[in-house]
Amino acid sequence: MRTIFHLDLDAFFVSVERLIDPSLNGKAVIIGADPEQGRGVVSTCSYEARKYGVHSAMPIKQAYKLCPHGIYVGGHSGEYSKFSKSVKGILEKYAPMIEQPSIDEYYMDFTGCKHMYVSYHMFAAELQKKIWIELSLPCSIGIGTNKTIAKIASDCYKPLGITYVEPGMEKYFLDPMPVETIPGVGKVMLKGLHNKGIYKIGDITGLSEEYLGTAFGKGGISLWRKAHGNGTEYLNPPTKRKSISKERTYGENVTSKKEIEKTLFNLTGKVCQLLRDKGWQSSTISIKLRYSDFVTLTRAKTVKPTDDDKTIYETAVDLFRKAYTRRVSVRLIGIHLTKFTDFAEQENLFEQEEIVRKKMLRAVTKIRDEFGYKIIHLGSK
Amino acid sequence: MKTFQPKLYIGTSGWSYKDWVPGFYPKQQCADLNWLQFYSQYFNTIEVNSTFYTYMNPKVIDVWISNTRHVDDFIFTIKLHSDFTHKRQYTSEQVKAVRFNLDMLAREERLGGILMQFPYSFDCTDANVEHVRKLAGEFAEYNKFLEVRHKSWHNKNAHSLTICTIDQPLIGEAIEFKPKAGNEIAYIRFHGRNEEAWKRSINSYGEKQLYEQQSERYKYFYSPGELSEIERGIIEVYDKVKQVFVIMNNHPTGYAVANAFELMHMLKGKYKVSMPDTIVKAFPRLKSISA
Repeated sequence: MRTIFHLDLDAFFVSVERLIDPSLNGKAVIIGADPEQGRGVVSTCSYEARKYGVHSAMPIKQAYKLCPHGIYVGGHSGEYSKFSKSVKGILEKYAPMIEQPSIDEYYMDFTGCKHMYVSYHMFAAELQKKIWIELSLPCSIGIGTNKTIAKIASDCYKPLGITYVEPGMEKYFLDPMPVETIPGVGKVMLKGLHNKGIYKIGDITGLSEEYLGTAFGKGGISLWRKAHGNGTEYLNPPTKRKSISKERTYGENVTSKKEIEKTLFNLTGKVCQLLRDKGWQSSTISIKLRYSDFVTLTRAKTVKPTDDDKTIYETAVDLFRKAYTRRVSVRLIGIHLTKFTDFAEQENLFEQEEIVRKKMLRAVTKIRDEFGYKIIHLGSK
Repeated sequence: MKTFQPKLYIGTSGWSYKDWVPGFYPKQQCADLNWLQFYSQYFNTIEVNSTFYTYMNPKVIDVWISNTRHVDDFIFTIKLHSDFTHKRQYTSEQVKAVRFNLDMLAREERLGGILMQFPYSFDCTDANVEHVRKLAGEFAEYNKFLEVRHKSWHNKNAHSLTICTIDQPLIGEAIEFKPKAGNEIAYIRFHGRNEEAWKRSINSYGEKQLYEQQSERYKYFYSPGELSEIERGIIEVYDKVKQVFVIMNNHPTGYAVANAFELMHMLKGKYKVSMPDTIVKAFPRLKSISA
């Protein structure tokens, strides 16, 4: 039996806008397109605006008709993602595993953690309070045995709600709810369900799986299962990038070793830039070489973890020279970095070996001397 | 879950700005309102900029000390004269003059340290490292904060001094913001992120400018999201340091003061912060955190 939390930030964009401009507090705030332009939709709105029937995804024109006195804001997307990361930063201190399906919601797997937190309900309240104190953002939390239940639960009472569906109570919790509560029920399916007299989730559980399957196909079967309180029990943790690679396919096949090395140099600059942006170092450097007859070779070498253009380029060139043995023109050359470690070490300024160490910029200068200035574009950002 | 909290010093770079009236210093001032005294009621540190341009008369230092006498916990960080950092030519007399003033503050337990601020062009070459090493020797017994702006220093560290963390617009090979610790201290300076004005100021380098033009590149008000991101970065170094300095240099119209109060609130356990009404009036966002 799993214990999944779903945390949903209440009217998230509006909450952030209110932190930027407190004068929006207590007012009907609508974030989305400019109503004067007449096109576009509402991305979200405050609870005050919802009273007038405005909701997200509604055409902005319609929202304006319903709530002409509302405050229409374009939104600060950069701010939203910063706050979203801050919330995640808080949750990471508590949750063994987090999945973030969108900017304002988080699934957390707390299976087996009950003894640490006394009761799940109390713990959820603590989490909610913590986010409020730290970031002044309201949220609602749903707890259930799977993701679907947790999500429906978090949506049950908003804002600042906590809903715990105890194991075994899923059916009683779901039965009286309208069918559109189930995530994945869109307009078309809802119409189909209504046509068949299915309004409440309880109406679905009274029917057979086969019936739903025949009527709505795969979506129907999934709906039937969700209506019975079944859902995905395991979270998808974020997958970390495992490799960084760049390739170049020549428009016209190339035989000049020097030109291929030049390409390799450019590609190295690009992959190293990505590497440094991530704050990683790579310890396995590989090259890929494809001849014009499509014979393809890869060669790899393991080195001390590095993010230095020079080391990586020298290793790659060495691999290339050893691999390029046939007198056939080349169609493609590529570089591939794997085995990453987070860049954490700091070098000591005054240590002798550090002073002696060749500086990256010098390497760059040297190579520029050989291949010309334009050959290298030092990454700046 | 509690993280150990180091001693926090939060303040601004400089205190004597006319455009902090009325946003921080009240407009209707009584004759004896002293700006430094007023400032020190709210903040526990200040970075002195004027020492970058002149060798201060010790009498001035005396005045600073007496102006902050009413607060127990207040320290100055002195910016080293440009002869040491920009011209990089100095005499032993100049070292002595600087040390005299530093010692005056140190005797009164008012010295945070010295800030050695180098220009962007000062990259990490052997000669430059050697220059820093020499300077570190001249001022061995004080806390030294080394501000370098070029990316080539990004993963460098030293035990005898603290390399500052800086937040600046990322232009060219500028070093990125990532709080770091050195000598058990983190010294974090915020220059704002006004990229456009910064670029303009690079282009007009060397021209004579008015105060407004000069300070335009620091005209930047950090948003709540940016501050929250900054807070997370700072907390990450807590377990490596005993002291954290947070210095706001985005001074135009008092942005630095407002952001300093906000960071104070965020970093000091989200308690309400004591601040004058003037700043809340100028920056209504601060109302919710004002005690």
